[in-house]
Amino acid sequence: MKPFPHDVRPDGPPPFAMSGGEVRLDGRDVLRGIDLVVAPGDLLAVLGPNGAGKSTLVKALLGLLPLAAGRTEIFGVPPARFHGWQRIGYVPQRLRVGGGVPATVREVVASGRVARQSRWRPSSAADRAAVDRALEMVGLTGRARDSVHHLSGGQQQRALIARALAGEPDVYVMDEPMAGVDAASQAALAGTLRELAAEGRTVVLVAHELGPVEPLITRTVVLDHGRVARETGRATAGSVA
Amino acid sequence: MADMLQYDFMRIALAMAVLIGLAAPAIGTFIVQRGLSLLGDGIGHIALTGIGLGLLTGSSPVLVALVVSVLGAVAIEVLRERSRSGADVALALLFYGGLAGGVILTNAQGGGASLQSYLFGSISSVSATDLYVVAGLAAVVLGVVALFGRELFLLCQDEQLARAAGLPTRFLSVLVAATAAVTVVISMRAIGLLLVSGLMIVPVAAAQQLTRGFRATMLLAMAIGVLSAVSGLAGSFQYDLPPGPSIVLLALALFVIAVIGGAVLRRRRTVVSPAAPARVEAEAEVVRG
Repeated sequence: MKPFPHDVRPDGPPPFAMSGGEVRLDGRDVLRGIDLVVAPGDLLAVLGPNGAGKSTLVKALLGLLPLAAGRTEIFGVPPARFHGWQRIGYVPQRLRVGGGVPATVREVVASGRVARQSRWRPSSAADRAAVDRALEMVGLTGRARDSVHHLSGGQQQRALIARALAGEPDVYVMDEPMAGVDAASQAALAGTLRELAAEGRTVVLVAHELGPVEPLITRTVVLDHGRVARETGRATAGSVA
Repeated sequence: MADMLQYDFMRIALAMAVLIGLAAPAIGTFIVQRGLSLLGDGIGHIALTGIGLGLLTGSSPVLVALVVSVLGAVAIEVLRERSRSGADVALALLFYGGLAGGVILTNAQGGGASLQSYLFGSISSVSATDLYVVAGLAAVVLGVVALFGRELFLLCQDEQLARAAGLPTRFLSVLVAATAAVTVVISMRAIGLLLVSGLMIVPVAAAQQLTRGFRATMLLAMAIGVLSAVSGLAGSFQYDLPPGPSIVLLALALFVIAVIGGAVLRRRRTVVSPAAPARVEAEAEVVRG
C-alpha cells in the first residue's frame, strides 16, 4: 500500500469523478458517455490516437471545458464551485509564447505558487524553497535565469512540469508532457514521476505513447472517437481502499 | 532646461510625464503579453466620446472620459469573451463609433480646437489640479500592477492555466482592460488619445529586445517610458512641437536602438558561450533517471 499525502484520505471523495461526461465543441461531439473515477494514488495514462479527445477529457475534468451532459467533480465538488485549486497541478500541452514578452524559467516556475499565495504578501522563503526544489527536480537549476523562450521544446516542457511541482499539489494533470521531447527530458520526466509515485501523488497523464514512463503507470484509459475504448488496471491501491 | 522650469505649467507637465512614463509601460507589459497591443488604441477612440459628452454637458471632460472609457474597456472584455469570431467586428464598431461620436459631440460644442489638443496632446493649459488627478490615478494603476502582478502574469501567460490555478480570470481580464482605460485617461492630456497607446506598447517592445525576464522587461520599459516622456516633452517645449508625437517618436527611436543593441548582445552571447552545450549535458546528468 502506498503512503498518501497527509491531507488525502483514501476514503475521501476521489480527485476526479466523471459520469456520463459529454463535451461538444463547435457543434461536434468530442466526448461521449465518459465514466471515469481517478482514485488517490492512481498514475493514470490517457491514451489514444490524435483527435480521440484526450486533451478534451483532461480539460473537462478540470472544468476548463463545460460538459454538454453528465457531471464531473473534483474532490467531490463541481469545478465551478471547487476552491482547493492548490491541490491541483495542471501541466498544459505547451508553453504559450503569447505577446512575446520574455519570462525567465524561474518566473514561470514561480507562477505555480500563485494558488498558495496571498495577494497582500510578497513571496516567502517557503515559496522560494519550493521553486528551487522544483527546478532541481527537473534539472533546470542552471537555466533558472534564462528566458524560457530560449529553451528547447523538451526543456520548456520540463519548466512547465516544474511550474506544477512548485505548487506542491496532490494531483497532477499533465497534457502530453512527452510529445516531441528529447531523451534527456523524457528521462527527467520519468524520474519526476517516480518520485511523485513514491510520495503517493495522483497523476493523470495524457500520452501518445508511454516510452520510459510505462513501468510507472498503474492504470490506462484508451480513448477512441470520444469514447472509452479500453481500460486496464482498474483496481489500484487507491480505488480498492 | 533650466528656463523651461521657470514656467508653472512646464513643471506640472514634467511631473505628469514622469507619472505617465511609469504607469503606461507598467500595464502595457501585461497588455503586450496578452497579445492585445491595440487595446489601448481602441480605448482611446472610445474615450473621445467621453470627452465630447463632458464638453457638451459642461462637466469635467476628464471625469466623463474616465467613466466612458472604463465602461468601454469592460464592454470590450465582455465582447471578447462572448464570441470568438464576432468579437473582432464588434470591437471595430465600438472603436469607430467612439471616434465618430466624439468628433460630432465636440463639434456640436464648437470645440474643434480642443478636439485637436485631446487627439494629439497639449500641455500649455495643465493646472495643478490636473496633476493631482493624474498622480492619484497613476497610483491606482501602479497599485493594481503591484498587487495583482503575480496573478496578471499567469493570466497573460496562459488563461487556461490561470483558471486551473483557481484565479478569478474574468475579474482579472476586466481589471487589465479597466486599468488600461485609466492609463489612457491620465495620458491623454500630455500625449493625446490617438498616441496614448504608443507609450503603453513601444517602451515594452523596446525593453523586450534586451531582457530575459518579465519583471526586468517591465522595469526597463518603465525607465524607457519615463525617459521618452520627459525628453519628448522637453523637446516639444524647446522646438515648439506637439508633445504627443515628440514623445512617441522618441520612444520609437529608443526601440530602434534597442533592436540593434539586442542583436549585438545576442551575437556576442552565441560567440562567447561555446560552454553552453556542455552545461546542458551536465544538467542531463544531474537529472534523476
